Formats: sequence, C-alpha cells, structure tokens
Amino acid sequence: MPEFLKGNYKLAASIEDKADAADSTDEFEKKALSRLGGSICFVSKKGLIWQGEAQPAGGAAAAGEATARTASRATPENGDKDKAGGAGTKDSPGA
Amino acid sequence: MELGRKIAQALEAATFERVAGVGLANAEVNRPRIARSVLELAETPLGTGDTAIVVGAGPSLRRRRSLERLRASGFAGAIVAADGALGACLRAGVVPHVVVSVDPHPERIVRWFGNPALTVAPADDYFRRQEMDPVHREDELSANRALVELVDAYGPKIKVAAATSAAPAVVERCEQARMELYWWNPMYDDYDRPESLSRRLWNMNGLPCLNGGGNVGTAAWVVTHAVLGRKRIGLVGIDLGYAPGTPYEQTQYYPELVALLGDRYREAFIHTENPVTREVWFSDPAYHWFRDVFLEMAREADCETFNCTEGGLLEGPGITTVPLDAFLESTVAAGRKERTNG
Repeated sequence: MPEFLKGNYKLAASIEDKADAADSTDEFEKKALSRLGGSICFVSKKGLIWQGEAQPAGGAAAAGEATARTASRATPENGDKDKAGGAGTKDSPGA
Repeated sequence: MELGRKIAQALEAATFERVAGVGLANAEVNRPRIARSVLELAETPLGTGDTAIVVGAGPSLRRRRSLERLRASGFAGAIVAADGALGACLRAGVVPHVVVSVDPHPERIVRWFGNPALTVAPADDYFRRQEMDPVHREDELSANRALVELVDAYGPKIKVAAATSAAPAVVERCEQARMELYWWNPMYDDYDRPESLSRRLWNMNGLPCLNGGGNVGTAAWVVTHAVLGRKRIGLVGIDLGYAPGTPYEQTQYYPELVALLGDRYREAFIHTENPVTREVWFSDPAYHWFRDVFLEMAREADCETFNCTEGGLLEGPGITTVPLDAFLESTVAAGRKERTNG
C-alpha cells in the first residue's frame, strides 16, 4: 500500500494499513481467548492415556515400557509403599 | 450460534496457548523432583473394589452436603479429589486417597494446599472472588492458616497425582507436608505428530501423558479411570457450571470476559435447566467447553460414570444421573455381597 501513496504532496488523513490492522486484531483475539482457556489441555480424538511408543496390552493402569523407563530413571525418595496407607475418612483412615 | 458457544469452540486451541509454555517450563523445573510415575498408583491399595468417588470443587458440594453424606456412608472405595476440593474434603472429615493438581499458575494453586508463606492478603483478588470455596472469601488469612494445619496433619496420608505442569510452589508445599508425589505429563497435542510437545515431554521424562480434559476435575476422573483402573466412578462437586443466583462477578472468567467483550460480556453466559432438579444453572464458555469435553471422553471410556452432584450441567450420553445416596448404598451393598461370597 505505501508505495502507491508516494507523491509530492502530504495527505491530510493518515492511511491505515488494513492487513496490519487485521493481524493485530487476530493477535488481540488470540491473546484474549487464551485467557479464557482451561488449566490443562484437551486433545480431541485421542485416548485418555499415552504411555509412549510401545503401548502395553491391557491399557489402563498396566505397567509397561514407559513405566519401566520411568522407574529406572527415578530415584525413590522414601518409596515405602506399605508405609503410606490409604486414606478414607478421619475416623477410619486407610481402606 | 450463541456467543458463548462460539467462543467455547475456540478453547481447545486457546488452552494450548494459555498453558503449554508455562507447563513445559514447569516440567523442566520439576524434573529433579520426579521420583515416581503415576502408574505406580495403580499398584497401590487405595480403597476397596472397583468403585471410586471423584470430588470436584463445584458449588453442589456445599449445596448438597455431599462430603458429609459421603463420610457418613462408610464408603470404602477410592476417593480422588481435585486440588480445589482438598480443603472442603478435610474440613468435612474426608481424607482423599489421591489429590490431583495440574494448573501451572505460579501463585494461586498453592493456596488449595494452604500456603504457609501467606501473611498478608494478596493483591490478587482471585480467592476473594472465586465461587469454589467460599471459606476463602470470608477471611482469607484465617482460612489459609486453618488449611495449612489440616494439610500438615493429613498430608502424609494423601498421595498427589501431580502433572509435570504443576507450579513448583505446589510441589514444594506438598513435599513440605510429606505428601507423596506421583507424576504424569499433560497431553498437550497429538503425540503422533513428530514435532509433538507431548512426545517431546515423554522423551524427556518417560512419564505417561494423560488427556486432561481442560480442568483439574476432569483430569481427576481421567486419573481414576485410566490410571487407577476404576470401573464405577461417582462424581460429586463436578458441576461444570454456576449455581442459580451466582453473580457474574463471582464467576471464574469474569474479568477476562469483560476484557474481551466489554458490555457484551453477559451474552457469553449460557443458561440451562438441570433436567432433574429443574434449576437453571449457567456456564461461561470455558465451563461449556469442559462439559462438552467431559461428555466426549465419558462416551468413549470403558467405565460407568455416575453424576451424583444433584445439580450442575453434566448431563448426556455416557453419564448416568443418580442421587448420591443411591450410588453409595449400591456400592456398600455390592461390597457386602462380595465379602459374603468371598
């Protein structure tokens, strides 16, 4: 646009570049919308859990390659499972 | 199409914009503290049977006294709570087996665990304005102090299913309260794409990626089914809507809607009659999107989901609406039968 407006005179009105304006409007809307989003993503058409490349048979709650990888990388701090009983209610803690 | 529904359609992408950057940054910061995968929870005794209750922080929790009734029932299954519901649970005498935390917000979320560092009311009015736990509205500092004491007392009995996106302040607080942390990655995008962030995260830490459904309550349901393997899941406090009479100013996204829409912000709210209670609840675009997402996930899930909220807006295929007492009685009866037969 600016190249067509060159001349030996001065314009009284300022010319707005509509493409830039559209971009900034889109950007504003994108930013404003992002503030309305949730606290965690949702990915449509995907399952509830992905455990990495070699998905173990049995799906949910099954231990698999990803679990083993994690376990091998992790260093339990105080991982005594028996120590931490279940919860329940204050009167009857544990299951 | 109504303005609210139109905005809701854009929120899958908008949520990615909102949380992906900070979530990944938090995953880096949290990395040295990751010791256990959430999958280890599947091997941990958490209540009996295949039934669980998921506790959200919606207004029906107080309106229907759901937690007090849960406690009185002697329910023996797993109890999984969203972090925003932790305070209500402990005050009602219910100690959840697992608390789920996902939100990367650097300052707010730690308050759901009681923030020992809070000595003056913060400039951020979120807790004075929010509708989820009114105890914090009335006297922020006293409510926080009481919650610090409760979480300190019961923390060692509670496991935290923490998303790697969780704020480092939350992680620190949980460790301080001697809560055991079990980690997972939020699914940010399609892991089948080579440039996927979900895939990148998995490569980095080897943790499973969970499809979070937009909010922590839905994420708690995902953990309960996909990780703990529970097949009968009752929901309390998962309203995905605002109770009749809630002022717009006390809704979660009010300032953001005003900033986006100005005087037209009222048009973004969607009013719907609950088919059971006949009350008219309402949602904003975010809650409407959460509801659509939950229904989509529940339809596909290999479990029965029972809406025991006795309110709210979560109605549709894949969800069975049932009074809380009926759900609890059927669970107790099934457990009794199992013990007799066993």
